[in-house]
Order: sequence, then structure tokens, then C-alpha cells
Amino acid sequence: MPSLPLLEVRNVVKDYETDGQKVRALDGVSLSVSPGELVALVGRSGCGKSTLLNLAGAMDFPSSGEVLIDGRSTRAAADELTRLRREKVGFVFQSFQLLHTLSAVENVELPLLLAGREKARETALERLRAVDLDGLQHRLPHQLSGGQMQRVAIARALVAAPRLLLADEPTGNLDNATGATILDLLLRLTREQQTATLMATHSMEAAAVADSVVTMRDGKISDVKRK
Amino acid sequence: MPRLKLFARLMLLPLAREPVRTALTVFAVALGVAVVLAIDLAGNAATGSFHSSLETLSGQEDFEITATGGVPETVLPALTSLPYNLRVTPRMEDYAVLPELRRTLPLIGLDLVSEASRFALQTSGASQSAPFPAAASRNASIETLMARDSVWLGESLGKRAGDTVQLVINDQPVRFVVRGTYPDAGGNESAVILDIAAAQDALARAGRVDRIYLRVPQETSVEPASLEEWRSRLQAALPAGLEVRPAGAATAENRKMLSAFRWNLRLLSYIALIVGAFLIYNTISVSVVRRRAEIGIVRAIGASRVQVLFAFLGEAACIGLAGAVLGIPLGRFMASGAVTLMGTTVSALYVTSRPGDIAFTPSSVALALVVGVAATLFAAWSPAREAAAVSPVEAMARGRREFGVHVARRSSLWLALIFAAVAAAASRLPPIGGKPFFGYLATLLLVAAGVFAIPAAVAFTLRATAAALRSALGVEALLASRSLAGSLRRTSVLVATLCTAVAMMTAVGIMVGSFRATVVNWMDSELPADLYLRPAGNPAADQHPTISPELTAAIARIPGVRAVQRLRAYEISYDGAPATLGSMDLENTQIYRTSDFLSGRPTADVLAELRGTGAVIVSEPFAYKHQVRRGDSLWLSLGTARAAFRVADVYYDYASERGMVLMDRDTLLRYLPDPAASNIAVFVAPGASVSEVRRAIENAAANYRILMFANGDLRAQAVQIFDRTFAITYALEAVAVLVAVLGVAGALLALVMDRRREFGLLRYLGATSAQIRKLILVEAGLLGVLANLSGVALGFFLSLILIFVINKQSFGWTIRLHWPVAVILGATSVVFLATLLAGYYPARIAVRLNPLEAVHEE
Repeated sequence: MPSLPLLEVRNVVKDYETDGQKVRALDGVSLSVSPGELVALVGRSGCGKSTLLNLAGAMDFPSSGEVLIDGRSTRAAADELTRLRREKVGFVFQSFQLLHTLSAVENVELPLLLAGREKARETALERLRAVDLDGLQHRLPHQLSGGQMQRVAIARALVAAPRLLLADEPTGNLDNATGATILDLLLRLTREQQTATLMATHSMEAAAVADSVVTMRDGKISDVKRK
Repeated sequence: MPRLKLFARLMLLPLAREPVRTALTVFAVALGVAVVLAIDLAGNAATGSFHSSLETLSGQEDFEITATGGVPETVLPALTSLPYNLRVTPRMEDYAVLPELRRTLPLIGLDLVSEASRFALQTSGASQSAPFPAAASRNASIETLMARDSVWLGESLGKRAGDTVQLVINDQPVRFVVRGTYPDAGGNESAVILDIAAAQDALARAGRVDRIYLRVPQETSVEPASLEEWRSRLQAALPAGLEVRPAGAATAENRKMLSAFRWNLRLLSYIALIVGAFLIYNTISVSVVRRRAEIGIVRAIGASRVQVLFAFLGEAACIGLAGAVLGIPLGRFMASGAVTLMGTTVSALYVTSRPGDIAFTPSSVALALVVGVAATLFAAWSPAREAAAVSPVEAMARGRREFGVHVARRSSLWLALIFAAVAAAASRLPPIGGKPFFGYLATLLLVAAGVFAIPAAVAFTLRATAAALRSALGVEALLASRSLAGSLRRTSVLVATLCTAVAMMTAVGIMVGSFRATVVNWMDSELPADLYLRPAGNPAADQHPTISPELTAAIARIPGVRAVQRLRAYEISYDGAPATLGSMDLENTQIYRTSDFLSGRPTADVLAELRGTGAVIVSEPFAYKHQVRRGDSLWLSLGTARAAFRVADVYYDYASERGMVLMDRDTLLRYLPDPAASNIAVFVAPGASVSEVRRAIENAAANYRILMFANGDLRAQAVQIFDRTFAITYALEAVAVLVAVLGVAGALLALVMDRRREFGLLRYLGATSAQIRKLILVEAGLLGVLANLSGVALGFFLSLILIFVINKQSFGWTIRLHWPVAVILGATSVVFLATLLAGYYPARIAVRLNPLEAVHEE
């Protein structure tokens, strides 16, 4: 029985003002992602994938329409939004975005420390084991390979056990083989931890592992394919 | 032109895009330049003026004849009878107090009738520019000129012809009639001018003049001679105690005496500029790192290494030029404040000084421009060379790299040790020409050692404290600490900047604090009496007005007065340097003087040697300046005599840097029979009431103008003068710290801009605005703490050089090391708070950054 969607994007419009000109980045987009489901967002550069991810992660707000995470609207007060992000959302980026001054385990435990959670180190080590990086916890980012860095980034995104995982081109900076491993990992964690995963990608291989593939064009959803 | 356009587009426009940071850097340079300029201008004004009253009136003279206690008038006919056709001009020169304006003015007695044509006096009814003789011949009779109650005043004093004016001369109030005024602007000092006989009367110095000016014949029947030959000729014709020296020699001597003071102050003024140079280094380094990819591109499309080098040097020069241009008016403004502070010090420690006009000349402007631009170019040289060395392929391939990933900590530490060792060696070397050049060098080397030791010290401290910081201040502290350690080069430059300022502040603080404690301790033994009296007026190191002997006698007779000690002081010139000759009562040495002697001998033993003998004691600055030791002989000119005195011992003395020779009162009276005392100390008998004795003295002195201080008041006044004396050094340190803090604010701003991605990411990871703000503030605070710790440590070693090398070699004082804990704690707290404050604006900027742009812009 399909569970209730964790992420609901309802008829969202997003306009930006650039040099006095209004640009519509998203135009009436609706979408939902359920726990344990991996949805791939595909489309050309500039079609609105990253904008949609930011709205989905409550890092930005729609000009109209609504985004609901686990039933809670992202139109909340700043404090509540921060709490919502901390508790519900994890992000994975194309360029890993690790802090180069922190070791692998310190990067992973960072969201827990920022949220003031207890037992951050134990949880972080557990997450590193889950992404098969046991033993590399004290390495600094520049001492890791691209794939290892992305694993650290995924462990960090999942460390606070978020319900929603947002991945922006997670294999964009990796070779094919490493990319495939990362995709397997994302899919496995999505299933095991029942996260709702929304992944923006250019890669057909990446789209192939997803449960659904949503194609975007000029800020609109042009096609949805479910497996 | 196209190159200039390109320079403006690539190098200057980016500066305009960060107006706050650019403004902070320019302002920091401006402050550095301003301080250097202010001290230069103020130094000229404050120390260039001490001769103006006496010498602007002296005209074209060749020689002056002086003698301790005055030149006997009998010398005048002896001079005129020489076969040389000399022009002989006697002078009385002293000081008078104008009570209504609370000012001490030079009092100059001239032979008005014969010398009237030598200066411009405006008498009543005469036109503004009328020379005195014309005015005098119309309006002033010879009787008026020579009248005992006639005076002429500088017109700025606000008196007009016909007014009466009361002056205090020594301890006597005297009423005069103002017969006219003279223009006293533009270098002519306000003075009281009267006929020489009237001056002798008023000063109670009948039969003596203070100075005789001589003009030797320019075309003469006698064989032509050099000035030195003339000097020998004249000296041979005069009694041994009289000194013939070139006119203006006193000014030259004063200038020489003040040169150490000016040197030290001038060098202190460069600290702010040195601190500013660190900031330029940092600014240009940031600029190079940010534009690494850009440098790679322009190199790939044809720019040469030299062009890149000049582009960055040009950027620095523009900042330096802008700073210098802003610093010039700022320096002129600051000079007005500095001149007052410096004038106070000069008067208190050296010689009466009237702050003159600040001469703002093209050379001052040139100094500011050269100093500003040179300092920035020097500081920018290393990062500009680094930019020129960037390989285009590497720069474009790797994009922007973090600032200073590579810092050679170990080799820096070795360099630090080498610099420290050379500094220690330099500090042992003697002065050159009385100036502690090697001491200054040791200071610079020690600062360099500190700067080179900083990367290792910072890395070690941050590593050692990371866990503690995290548990005490949370994850923000961990991030702050890691970020500082991660960009070690930038952090080290910032810490070095602040550290240098804090170190100099600490060093000067310890030196002044030690000096203060030494002086306070010294006063305990130096001021044993209950009450001290001196004639009214502002105290100055070279003015010794006297107290009437009758008053001294009357005070000695007051019931409850156990003893009165008289101290008489004269100005002397010893071995080409001004000094003070003093005499004191030695009848009861046990209660009179308990000074410490360098030999460590009991005071009573030393003073017993002086009693009635040809022995003297000399102050430590005198002994140091003239290389005199216990057992040596001094030749002193006293009146018309010249006599040798044995140095019985050297005593610690912090009252004046001029140097003092002290002898028994009876001995001095044999040469200079004037019984008046310059100061008297009153000892109250055991059991008698000090306040009653004080009241009785006030009654006895009702007709005299004297100032009386209780022991505690005198000490408090001395400490107050001391503090005022060093106010300027504190002001200089404060500016250096301000420059450093401005720099830290600018650098933190750059840091925030360069770490946009990190802050954006933290927002994605759930950081709140407050956490981002706290992160920046903790970083600023950590910089402050690191700088304070390293600055205090470095400052301690610098203080040793200041106290035991530079001070000793410049002034000859023995200062005992003392930690002014409260001052250092206060100063470091202020620096810490200022650094936190410097982080406040960058923190606000960090919070306002859009995380979406920050994370996705790469």
C-alpha cells in the first residue's frame, strides 16, 4: 500500500527578478515523493531542477503555490524552518561541499552538533559505516577520493535521520563506475531508511535507478515516468 | 592609456566593489601616515620653540658670554676696552609669572636706550609697523624707557599702553606700567621686556647680567680671524669661570639634548605604520589569492610576470597614495594635539618650551606621501611577487585555492630563533653617537622573530585548545578554530598585525609602568619632608626662581618647624650639554636625604664627604651622559671661577633628564654668594601639627607668591606630571592598536566574503543566523586572544630592550622592572573587545549572505 507522500509540491510558481526583469523559474509545478521512493528530476541546465530542490528543502520559498514537508508548510517562521530542515531534510551536492578543515567524521556529525543533539560522534561513526567508510573517519576531505567524499556527504545528509533527502547532481563530479556505486548507495539507503529521495540529475544512468523520472522543461514538468 | 584602462578595470574596480573593506584599509594606512606626520610636525613645533624668546631678539650676534649665577657687570668695561671694536650687548634673562593669565613668560632685560633699534616695539600712538626707535623718539622719553616700572609686552597678552600689570618675579609680586606692545605673532614669542637695570632690580641681581652677546668686527684693522680664533682670543681675556661660546649654542645644546627624546618618539610613531604595512600585506595577499584564476587567464593570454607584479604593486601604491592623501590633513590635525603633549614633556624634563606654530611645509607633505607609498609598496612586494610567479596552467586548472595552504612552519620557527638570537646580540652593543641604534635594531629583530614564530604558535595553540573550545563554546568554536587553523597564513598575518600592536603597547606599558613604580619608590626616599615650598608659576626643568631669604628665615623660626632645608639650583652648561647645578643644606643628613646611591653606600657616609669640601654628587643621567664615575673630577664654572670637584658618588635621580650636580650649600655659597633658595623643604617637629605649621607658613608668606605642597600633594603632582609626560606614548600606542583593529575588521570582512560557500553550506546543514554570527565572533575573539597572548609575551621581551637598552642608552636612567598588571589587563581587554567589535559587521554580512547563491555559485 503506497504510504502518504512526504514531500508535496503543489502548483508552485517561482519568479526571480534579474536586472529588473522578472524571470519565471518554475511555472505551476506539482510533485510528490513518498517515503522509500527515489524520484529523479531530469532536464536541461536552467530548466528549474535546482530551484525545485531548494524549494523542496525549504531553503527558498515559492512565489505562489505550496510546499509541504511531512505535512508541514515551508511558509513558517525562520526558527521553525531551521528546525524543519534540521529534522526532516538532508542535502547532497554535486561538488560534495565538505568543509575542508574538518575530518570525515567531523563533517558527518556537523548537522547534529549544529542542532545540539547528543551522541553526535557515535551516530556519525555509525553513518560512516553505513556508507562503507569505516576506518577513514579521521581523514580530511583532500585525503579522500571523489567517491569517498560523496559518501561522506551522503552520510552527513543522512546523519540526522531526515525523512527527505535532496540530491543535486550527486554523480556529476564522479566517473561512471564511482557514480554507479553512489547511486546504488542512495537507492539502498532510501529503501532501508525509508527516506523520500528527490534527485536532480543529467545522467541517464542515474535516472535509470529511480522509481520515477520527472522531466522538466522551461520551469514546467513535461513528463513523468513511473517504473 | 590602454594599459591604464586595463589596470583600472582589473585592479581598481574590484577595490570599489568592496567599499567598506577598501575604506578600512585606506583609513588604516592614513592613520599610520598621520601619526608619523603629526609627530614630525609636532616635534618641530614643540622643540623648535624653546629658543624663540631669547634668540629672536638677539639678532646677528657671534658669541655669548655666560657664567653660572650670572656674569659680573665689571666684565662689560673690560670687553669694551679690548682693542677689537666689539659690539657688546648685555642681557637679563629669566621668567616672570603673569598671574591673571596663569602664564610664565620670559622676562628679558635689555639696554633699551642703546638697543632699541634691534626689535620692533609698538608704543602707544605709533603705527603698527613702526620700529621701536621711531616710536620711542616720538612717544617715549629716555626716562620712560629706563623707568623701573616700565614694561613692554607681546600684544597677544591683551594689554595696552597705559595699563598696569602685576607680575610675579621669583616670589615677589611687582606692579608695572605697560608702555607699549610689540607684535608677537609669527615666531616672536610673548615676553616681558624691560630695561636691563629694571630687570636687575626686579630679579634682585644687582651687578650681574645673565648673558652678554658679542658681535666681532666684520672688517677690522686687526688681522682677520676665524670664529674659533675669536673665541679663544675672547676667552683668554676673561676670567676662567666665564664661558664664551657661539651665539645660539644653548639652542644647539638643547636640540642635542632633545634629540634622543625626539628620536624615540619618532620611532614610536612608526609603529602604527608598521602595523599598517602588515595590513597591506594581508590585503594584497587576499587580492592575489582571490584572483589566482584571473592571473592565470591574463598570463595565458599574454601578460608578462613583470606586468602582473606591477599590477599588484600598483594596487598597493593606489591604496598607499589614497591613505597618504587622507593622512596629510589627519596628521596636521593630530599634530595640534601632539604638540601640546610634547611641549609638556619637554618643559617637565628638559627645557622651557613654548609650542610654536606648526610649520606645514611641502617637505612635510612629501614625507607623508613617501612614507605612505613606500610602506605599502614594501608590504606588497612579497604577495605581488607571489602573484607574478603564478603558473597560468596551474592557476586555471585548480581555480581558487585556499589562502596560504602552505606555510613553512618549521623553517619560520628556525628563522624566529635566529632573529631572536641576533636581537639578543644586538641589544648588548653600545650606542652610536649617544643613540641606541642597536637597541632599535634589536627591537625590530625581536618583532620579526615574534612574527615568524606566530604560525607555529598559532597552529599549536589552536590544535591544543580545539577540544576545550568545542566543549566550552560549542560547535561554532570548533568551526572557528578549524577555520583559523585551516587558513594559517592569513590567520598568522592577522595575529601578527594585532600582536605587533599589542606587543608594543605592552612593552611601552611595562616600561612606563616600571618607570612610574621606580619614580614612586624613589620619591619615598627623596621626599622625606612634610612641606615643600617653591615660588609661584609652572615648574620647568630649566627655571629656578628663588624664595626670599627673609621668608626662609621666618619659616625656620615658626614653632613646630624642626628644620628647613634649602635647595638652590642654577643652570649650567657642562661639556656642551645643559645641566643643573644644585646645592643643599647638609647640617643634618639623617633627616634630609636618604637617596639611593649607585655604589650602595649609606647616604650619611656619602653626604658627610660633601660637607664643606670640594666634593659633589651627580645624578645618574649626568653620570651616564658625561661618562663620569665615582672618584672622577669635574671642572665647574662658578661665577668667575673655575674649580675642580671630586665626584663622591652617583645617585639615582628621576626628576629631570638634564643631569644634576649637587654640592654642599656652604661650598656653593663660597663661589656664588646669593643666599636665596629655589625650593625649601620644611620638616615638622615630632608632635607638632603639620596643618598648624602650614597655616603659620601661609601667614608668614602672605606678602610673597609661593606655592606650598604637603608631602602627599607633591608626590601626587609629580605622578600627575609623569603621567602627562607619557600621555603621548600611550596615544601613539592607541593609534597603532586602532590601525590593527581596523585591519582585523577589514580582514574578517574579506574572510567572510571568501567563505560565502561555507556559510551557505552551514545554512543548508541547519545552522541558524545566530550560529553563523557566533562563529564569526568566536573567530574574531580567538584572533584577539591569540594576538593578546603572543603580544604580551613578545611585549615582555621588548620591554626588556626598552628599559635596559634603549632607555638606558638614551637617557641614562636605571629603571627597575615592574609589571603594571592592571594596565596590561585593561589594555588587552580593550583590544579583545575591539577585536570582537571588529567582527560584528562581518558577522552581520555573513548572516545576510544568500545561501543559495553561495552554494551554487561554484
